[in-house]
Amino acid sequence: MRILFFTGKGGVGKSTMAAAAAWQLSKKNRVLIVSIDPAHSLGDIFGVTLKNSKSRFTDTLHLKEIDLHKLSKEYLQREINVLSNTYRYLRTLNLDRYFSVLKYSPGIEEYALLTGIEETIRDEGNFDYIIFDTPPTGLTLRFLALPRVTITWIDRLIQIRQKILEKRYTIHRIRGVLSKEETLLSYNEGDDDVLKRLRTLKDNSQALNTILQGEDCTIVLVFNPDILSLKESQRLIEGLEDLELPLRLLIDNKLTEENIEAAERVERDIRNRKDVPLERVFLSKALLDNKGGRLYDIPEDIISKL
Amino acid sequence: MGFSILSFLRHIFSGLHASQRENAVALTIVEMQELENIFALLLLGSFVGLPSPPTFLAVELLPFMEKELRILNRRAKDADDMLAEMCGVLGID
Repeated sequence: MRILFFTGKGGVGKSTMAAAAAWQLSKKNRVLIVSIDPAHSLGDIFGVTLKNSKSRFTDTLHLKEIDLHKLSKEYLQREINVLSNTYRYLRTLNLDRYFSVLKYSPGIEEYALLTGIEETIRDEGNFDYIIFDTPPTGLTLRFLALPRVTITWIDRLIQIRQKILEKRYTIHRIRGVLSKEETLLSYNEGDDDVLKRLRTLKDNSQALNTILQGEDCTIVLVFNPDILSLKESQRLIEGLEDLELPLRLLIDNKLTEENIEAAERVERDIRNRKDVPLERVFLSKALLDNKGGRLYDIPEDIISKL
Repeated sequence: MGFSILSFLRHIFSGLHASQRENAVALTIVEMQELENIFALLLLGSFVGLPSPPTFLAVELLPFMEKELRILNRRAKDADDMLAEMCGVLGID
């Protein structure tokens, strides 16, 4: 199974390119296209209404929109359940009230998004391609960076936790058996809930990072022939390099005869930074001549250079 | 009578032994509590302006952090009298 992420600045045509690639690929493969952009336009492109569930468009093309708000809510609800099960006396409190503010905490949305991607990759193994239409650069870089940032933090927290357990073990050995009133704190690594949870989270993040950095994952960068798009694309390429994520295709979208020189300059600047295959997509001439018709002249196989 | 004196002495010696062991681990306990405090501060540091890990880590570990939160709370309460805290640690009356 191959995984494609269509990234780029807001408004460059990520969703349209992702939809075109999905449509073309679905002629020979089973394809699932997933919108993780809060401003969903996938349904509009295909002319269907998607309500946060997977919808069959053709036999080989399925569409899905991930509702971030719903995901964050479900995630926090799961945590409330764990909290209530661990400390039963808390059941008398209305925890929902306290947790309702947490969904606005920085990072929760990115984590919910990442969980959504992880679940999709895990549950939809019967597709040949999963294509993700991502939100604009800022949020995309933040959620793509999350597994790596998490691993770094967890490593430090595990080190401190292990030191705490060592101290507990020393205290236990010297003090001996405690009286019944005192609670025996866990000192074995296998008994400590915090350490166990940290290790599980680290395994999950590592597994996801391996998928994202792997051979089967591809990041496609869509841009337009203008300076703002160029600057943001350069920032995105820099971010992807830092995260060691595989940018494998550039798509220069919305080209016309008038902006072709600017396009060449932008393409040159981007490819100086990262030399990967480039695909050009022109705006439909008929549309420019006010004769209506198609919006883009999309090549027959937009990702053939991958 | 003899038996109760023996039991009394045994009780005293066992108390002395326990007290010696408590003295021996006192500093290790303080050290452990400091580490637990640091662990909680690192996880929940955003509340006091420290660089913090992704929020979800704090949420994920919250159910198992009761003890650390109690220590964090106590340390925050004692923070305005650090001299007394140090004297306590060093056993100065």
